[in-house]
Amino acid sequence: MAFLVSRVTARPLIRPFGPPSPARGEGVRFGRRSYLDTSTKPSLPYRRRRQLFLILLGAPALIYVLAVAVWPLAQGVDNSFYDYSLLRPTKTAFIGLDNYRALWINEEARRSIVVSAIFTFSAVAVEFGLGLGLALLLWRDSLFQRVCLALLLIPVTVTPVVVGLVFRALLASDYGMLGYYISAWGLSHPRGWLGDPTTALPTLVAVDAWQWAPFMALILLAGLKSLPTDILEAAEADGATSFQRFRLIILPMLLPAIFLALVLRTMDAFRVFDIVFATTNGGPADATNVLMIYAVKQGLEFFNIGFAAAIANVMIICIAIFSFLFIALIRRADKRANEL
Amino acid sequence: MSRAASQRALLVERSALIVVVAIFLAPVAWLISTAYKPARDIFSIPPSFLFTPTLANFRGVFHYFDLFSLLESSLVISLGTTALSLLIGVPAGYALARARTKWAIGIAYFFLAVRTVPAVATLLPFYMMMRDIGLLGTWWAVILLSTSLNASFVVWMMFSYFRSLPKELEEAALTDGCTLFGGFCRVALPLVKPGMVASALLCIMFSWNDFLYSSFLTRSGSKPISVALLTAYGTKDITWGTLGALAHFSTIPIVLLALVLNRYFVQGLTRGAH
Repeated sequence: MAFLVSRVTARPLIRPFGPPSPARGEGVRFGRRSYLDTSTKPSLPYRRRRQLFLILLGAPALIYVLAVAVWPLAQGVDNSFYDYSLLRPTKTAFIGLDNYRALWINEEARRSIVVSAIFTFSAVAVEFGLGLGLALLLWRDSLFQRVCLALLLIPVTVTPVVVGLVFRALLASDYGMLGYYISAWGLSHPRGWLGDPTTALPTLVAVDAWQWAPFMALILLAGLKSLPTDILEAAEADGATSFQRFRLIILPMLLPAIFLALVLRTMDAFRVFDIVFATTNGGPADATNVLMIYAVKQGLEFFNIGFAAAIANVMIICIAIFSFLFIALIRRADKRANEL
Repeated sequence: MSRAASQRALLVERSALIVVVAIFLAPVAWLISTAYKPARDIFSIPPSFLFTPTLANFRGVFHYFDLFSLLESSLVISLGTTALSLLIGVPAGYALARARTKWAIGIAYFFLAVRTVPAVATLLPFYMMMRDIGLLGTWWAVILLSTSLNASFVVWMMFSYFRSLPKELEEAALTDGCTLFGGFCRVALPLVKPGMVASALLCIMFSWNDFLYSSFLTRSGSKPISVALLTAYGTKDITWGTLGALAHFSTIPIVLLALVLNRYFVQGLTRGAH
């Protein structure tokens, strides 16, 4: 900005008589070349040059992502059609869709899909409930609320692996600070919440909610703060109770933000890896074997590259379906909120 | 509402918030406090809340771990990723925001889509690529792969920042004889500084906290602190106190950054979402 100002003030305020002269730095300029300056021919018209410039700026990122993300993805799609294992690389055979079919037939794989679906759905539901409550509590714009928000966002920044380890230690039934009381009061199996197949998944949902509910609250809070205050004040003046205001005004107008928060968390919860890996690593008895854990185990522990690629591709398809669905919902909610 | 009632509502709201904040911070407080507890106090039965602080656990960290090598790896990976992501991501975000073709928004969505791909999908083929060209086990492997995700994030985020910047400012600079590149560097860039700080902050956080990529793409000499933490867990010599002390070095830098630059952090989380 300082640069702009200096350029403007450096010019004489009263122009001398006569036509604009390039020698005095006058005339319409685009870029460095003045249109009055005929000493050298302009190499390219301005629009072309601008276009080329933007392409040059954008190309590195596009090429990079194509090479380092899209190319491996394409290879993954290719691998998924082969019976390809690093343990016997010479016996690679094209098997068409058999890896995908195995995902339906294989008991373990089907269970993993179910576990992932349950985890994603319940984690997002719990986080949404908590997040909405927190957002409403944080809505008032005061220093107190802002400090609370800053503190609440600390869990988001903690290394996920550390989160897993902390809860593993806290919930250990024999020595953990929480686990000891839980088992002393007879609320858990001797192996603790994380060690028992029936409670392991709900516990992981709670851990995920601990880390991510504040993020949900933040997105919803941003939505709440962008609501037009005049409508809310008018409703209050007309005698609407706070529940009526919430149900009839806040909720419908907040829907775009709600769907946005849901889609973000759905995609992340579906891809959960670190906290599961650090706590149960898929166990006990495959009760927490979410798709990411299953794919990583198949690919990087058993080296079934083909099958692991098929799992990953199914995950991508699921995520694509979620996001298209939610984008459609956001569009519709946006339209309705604007009509309100 | 009467004044007394609204006062009471405020009080209820504040105390509810204090309780919630306390619950959300308790596990972090426990983690921090374990590092200063003597071994017998960490898991005493029944659990005790009082202890005499000690620094013995930090001595344990230096004894069992090559802390400087771990921190060096974490720093190189996260700063390398962040620098590379900003270097290619910011100009691309600008180009997409200023391009007049219909393609621009499509390409921006493409970058957003790349970010949502599960890590394992790219990790497996990338692992084999790195093995073939001999970069497996080096910092480069992690930096290259996580830059692809983080740069996509930066492109999307900066796209939204540049789009909300009126282009008349750059056009004014151009008529004043500024070059196209000058218009980008000296007019547009300084105006989106908050966006760049926010993107950098989130890139650092993502790559510092990353576990999956580093655990499969690095070796013992190049592994970052997040990987060391998990592999150390369950090793019989290493107590929870030592682990808690080590976790200090993994958690506190990011927590502090997020608190000090809270405005940018909040802005980044909400803007990056849209």
